Amino acid sequence: MVIRNIMVQHKSRIVVILLTMVCLILGAGGAALAKGPMDQLQVSVDEIVEILQSDELKGTEQKEKRKQLVLNVVVDMFDFREMARSSLGPSWNELTAEEQDKFVGLFTSLIEERYIGKIDSYNNQKIIYKKERVKGSMAIIYTAIVDKELEIPIDYKLKEEQGKWLIHDLKIENVSLIANYRRDFDGILRKEQFAGLVKKIEEQLENSKQQSQ
Amino acid sequence: MHHLKTKKNRSFTASIALLFLFFSVIHAWAEVDDTVVLSPVAQAEEISVAGASASGTEEDDWLDEDSWNDEWEDEELIADPLEPLNRLFFHFNDKLYYWVLKPVARVYSGVFPEEMQIAVRNFFDNLRAPARAVNCLLQGRMRNSSQEVVRFALNSTAGILGFGDFARDVLGLDSSHEDTGQTLGYYGAGGWFYINWPFLGPSNFRDSIGMVGDAYLHPFIFLDVDWEVTAGAWVLEKVNYTALTLGDYELFTETALDPYAAVKDAYQQYRKGLIENK
Repeated sequence: MVIRNIMVQHKSRIVVILLTMVCLILGAGGAALAKGPMDQLQVSVDEIVEILQSDELKGTEQKEKRKQLVLNVVVDMFDFREMARSSLGPSWNELTAEEQDKFVGLFTSLIEERYIGKIDSYNNQKIIYKKERVKGSMAIIYTAIVDKELEIPIDYKLKEEQGKWLIHDLKIENVSLIANYRRDFDGILRKEQFAGLVKKIEEQLENSKQQSQ
Repeated sequence: MHHLKTKKNRSFTASIALLFLFFSVIHAWAEVDDTVVLSPVAQAEEISVAGASASGTEEDDWLDEDSWNDEWEDEELIADPLEPLNRLFFHFNDKLYYWVLKPVARVYSGVFPEEMQIAVRNFFDNLRAPARAVNCLLQGRMRNSSQEVVRFALNSTAGILGFGDFARDVLGLDSSHEDTGQTLGYYGAGGWFYINWPFLGPSNFRDSIGMVGDAYLHPFIFLDVDWEVTAGAWVLEKVNYTALTLGDYELFTETALDPYAAVKDAYQQYRKGLIENK
């Protein structure tokens, strides 16, 4: 029994050594190899956390600077055009190219408003990366944030484009951001068409700008 | 004689309860048996992973090719025949939040530290453990049900009346978040139509029936606590919850174009997720 245990221990140690060697070899030549979606997400989230926790950027007077730095990271994480298209539903195809571009810009600002405000209140909460499920160029990453001892699930839906995984939607406590906005926009599109929707978003953005000042 | 009989009855009930508790402990413990050496956090993860695979929703429709490409096909919109009234109550709750709840919660969170707010939340959450245990049982989730019984027993005692979450922190036993509305949903009941209650907020027909069920399984009701105390406790819970989530409501409603529609949809998605135990 004892001998077997030692054998097993040895065996696992050999495996570890072998694995380390494989990793080193791969790592040396494969630094440029594309990382999985979860790793990519984690790198970006770590970057944001670092910005929010840096001592030089603390305080309300630095808020704008902090926001800009976070935005720089966020812009590379999301596929805003795809999200905007999907949030509009079939109406997207009826828009001219200029209208589409305009809408993407407005939609992006709206998302930023909703999430940057939330992100800025980040205070060392623990982020748990649970698992990733990949199917071809699609992936779902299951994470959670522990806030005030409660675990809040956040799931990301991603798609790969040229080796980079971009977020297409996220669910917080099972509420999909895109599905929620689609429902919200749909009611307004039906009554007031695209022009009414644009006006509403612009008003909303103006309101929140005034409130943050 | 009569006196003796009730006494006998009572001890019989107590011994049945003890027996149930005993089996529940064994049942719950058997599940975590081989992870005993792990830290509580690791245990919690073990359990949640086991729970995820047990619920059998391995194929997430989010990853489904069809839903990916044809994502404009939404799940059916819930009927809203009471919309004018619902909107009125939504407006009322909104004002209630900004004019009453938020200012009170601000003062409250200035007086009581966050640890205490969490303890108060735990206390109220613990009182819902009987309802959760029964609803897990009704959905055939034996392990979760016994886990809730153990949680209630341990947190009410070792957790000091439920203010601490001893069962989670020390044994890694997590709460199951079940309620009567979800049990009805589990057996196929749809929401039927949307209801935005004054004070209580978003709900639907099914979940409103569920609320009645949950109330009957609440210790305050079955111990026949005075209604003034029950009402006071409800207000305290509401203020405490608001203090813990200050800012969330504003952020959500201020970045929605039609906050009523956005809340209605979010409620529906949230409940669907809970019923499907994702």
